Amino acid sequence: MALYFFTPFIAILLTILGGGIIFYILGFNPIEALKFYFITPIANLYGFSELLLKATPLCLIAIGLSFCFKSNNWNIGAEGQLTFGAIVGGGVALLFYNQEGFYILPLVIIAGAIGGMIFALIPAILKTYFNTNEILVSLMLVYVSKLLLDYLVVGPWSNPEGFNFPETRQFSNSSRMPLLFEGLRIHAGIFLALAAVMLSWFILYKTYLGFQIKVSGLSLKTAKYAGFKGKTMILVVFMISGACAGLAGVGEITGPIGQLHRMVSPDYGFTAIIVAFLGRLNPFGIIFASLVVALTYLGAETAQIFLQIPKYTGQVFQGMILFFLLASDYLLFFKVKILNLKKNELRN
Amino acid sequence: MATDLRISNISKIYPGCIANDNVSLQFKSGKIYALLGENGAGKSTLVKILSGVISPDNGEVFLNEKNLKLSSPLDAKKNKIGMVFQHFNLFETLSVFENLSIDATEDNKSLRIRINEILKKYNFSIDLDVPVLNLSAGQKQKVEIIRCLLRSPKVLIMDEPTSVLTEQETEELFISLKKFCDEGILIIYITHKLKEVLSLCDEVAVMRKGKVVSVSQTQNERVETLANKMVGQKLAKIKKKINISKNKDEIFKVKHLNFYSDDPFETNLINLNFSVKKGECLGIAGISGNGQNELFQILSGEIITPDTSIIFRNKEIAKLNPKQRREYLMAFSPEDRISQAAVPELKIYENVALNNFKSSNFFEKGLVNEKKIKEHSKKILSDFSVNTDNVELKSQFLSGGNLQKLILGRELITAPELLICYNPTWGLDVGAINYIHETLIKINDQEKSTILISTDTEELLKLSDKIAVIYKGKLSKIMPSEEVTPEKLGVLMGGGSID
Repeated sequence: MALYFFTPFIAILLTILGGGIIFYILGFNPIEALKFYFITPIANLYGFSELLLKATPLCLIAIGLSFCFKSNNWNIGAEGQLTFGAIVGGGVALLFYNQEGFYILPLVIIAGAIGGMIFALIPAILKTYFNTNEILVSLMLVYVSKLLLDYLVVGPWSNPEGFNFPETRQFSNSSRMPLLFEGLRIHAGIFLALAAVMLSWFILYKTYLGFQIKVSGLSLKTAKYAGFKGKTMILVVFMISGACAGLAGVGEITGPIGQLHRMVSPDYGFTAIIVAFLGRLNPFGIIFASLVVALTYLGAETAQIFLQIPKYTGQVFQGMILFFLLASDYLLFFKVKILNLKKNELRN
Repeated sequence: MATDLRISNISKIYPGCIANDNVSLQFKSGKIYALLGENGAGKSTLVKILSGVISPDNGEVFLNEKNLKLSSPLDAKKNKIGMVFQHFNLFETLSVFENLSIDATEDNKSLRIRINEILKKYNFSIDLDVPVLNLSAGQKQKVEIIRCLLRSPKVLIMDEPTSVLTEQETEELFISLKKFCDEGILIIYITHKLKEVLSLCDEVAVMRKGKVVSVSQTQNERVETLANKMVGQKLAKIKKKINISKNKDEIFKVKHLNFYSDDPFETNLINLNFSVKKGECLGIAGISGNGQNELFQILSGEIITPDTSIIFRNKEIAKLNPKQRREYLMAFSPEDRISQAAVPELKIYENVALNNFKSSNFFEKGLVNEKKIKEHSKKILSDFSVNTDNVELKSQFLSGGNLQKLILGRELITAPELLICYNPTWGLDVGAINYIHETLIKINDQEKSTILISTDTEELLKLSDKIAVIYKGKLSKIMPSEEVTPEKLGVLMGGGSID
């Protein structure tokens, strides 16, 4: 059991090691490069606030995903739910583009959550009533929502004064997340993430719904035998998951971005899958994991500036984390044995 | 050539439990040996050591005075030790021949010739080119045995081989085993069933708590003496009083139960009709895989079938799910303790909360009432003599018997009017079986009814007031149990008919 929560640390250690080797092969001093990657980005207050800024959507989405994953529902489309949440929330924000009022931001946030929820309901309903595979449906819907966003920002919603740039108008100040500190981009969205952590802990460990999720995740046969309403539960976990992703989307557009454009998310929805597993689907584990993975985003940007390597190394690191996590999970519970068989022994 | 297998001072210690404590045994070819013991007595550990699945902490195995190093199943195979496990290791969708050729080292042509020789020699009738899923359990077992025979084994270990067989198939198996034995193969036979030991084996070693407590000739033993050695205490014999009163109310009535499945691994049920009276036990016999799974799930509400009528206490409940059926005071104990009736990874009190009936208040306004669940769990643990009082314990640390007591306790503490159980004593030791049988009889004495779906004919004859047999999804006529004999059941279970 202790090992179960320990393997994420082993995975992170191995990732850093693996990264060092890659840097070495690329001809960099590995220690130096790793320092640029993991230390420099958060060496000052601004860097640290950027870390929290990136961790916020990752944490929110991963919390939502943990509900799905815990109950054996494989929602891979959080990126799409994020995008659709951003579209709906952004649409509401655009309605009020020339107005001010305290009520606007809550409306935008709620609209975003509902948007994500509705979009997550599509794979859920198809799964419960038509027996489709939720992995495929939710994944393919990601591209649907991204293309829809594309269409909106170049077409009907594009900024009339925007010289045909693929983006909407700037949101009014009342649609923007309040900034926490002058000069830093960190915004009130982080409180949404923290609230989600608390709430999810409460739901998962203290309510009947959480109990049903837990049992269904461990044994669907038992859930059926106990008479849990399986279909309702699938719908509920997808709605929770979609709402969290939608909130993350709204947090991005009302926070650092301030408008809708093509790139509302650097694949936060996909990366959050890694976060959820690295955090062992545990609400507090997810906080920790989201900080670690957020660092790979920042590190990639610094590395691009200082080492002139593409920022896609961030994805390499994220991939390595998942790879090593799965590998150490697998290998720690099995014994590796090297067989030394002579050829004729094999034949007999 | 004679074979001599000697186990010398084998010990295997797991954290918190000594599985094998200095076990020494000697086997010689020409005899059939029984290894008898309760669950957790250490016989599986010993067998796993012999077949190379685990290695002992201490001790040695000698085959014809050669010290064997068994560090993998491959080593056991190389040393001509064959093993037929209780659960078959066959690929259902591959043909018999393909299954046998997977680990063969010769070419297909000569393999087929050798297999046919074996089939002829032992009078096995198996079509080599049908998929394994079309075979009966007895035939599948024969495939496993052929797999061992292909390697001309010196030692053949059979682990609970008859748990899935009909009486007739069991007899056939015994004939084959005796033939192998005559040919000089050393046979080690592991079982819970005392009668089999007496009818088949020459010598019996009894294990208890990791130690060998007795080695004796079976001709000097009786069922009672063996049972007492196994559990280490005198067992009271129980026998149910047949419930004779005919004019009681029907409490449960099933009409036109039909079930058609798209899944080739499931059995269709065809027009089942039966009823149960107050205080009565209806036994449903049959070899596993003849529709018992599906029947249980329909009775519990996990599967809802259209057009079926199920009347319980004068209410139509055919459309209700398990939770709703529980509200009407039904209770269910499925066959699969580990992945259905309970979840091993959950704590005891969490498993208790699975039976969340209305008056339990386990979940008030959607919140977990841990205190209430734990109190309730404590009561179950003490009322049903589960050997722990720690409700925080994970259920995986309970033995099969204690887990079953917990499950039955959970189901019975609501004082249900009808308990439906499926193989309630499957894989349990004599002590636990006795306890559970007593409990089931007690329920009937309290005027509560039971439906007992079981593959154990002895159990059915002991506990049922009336018995029907399910074969390929059809139910035989329902017979009063005093008119039923094991032989009659065997015929019906094998698809035959009696008049």
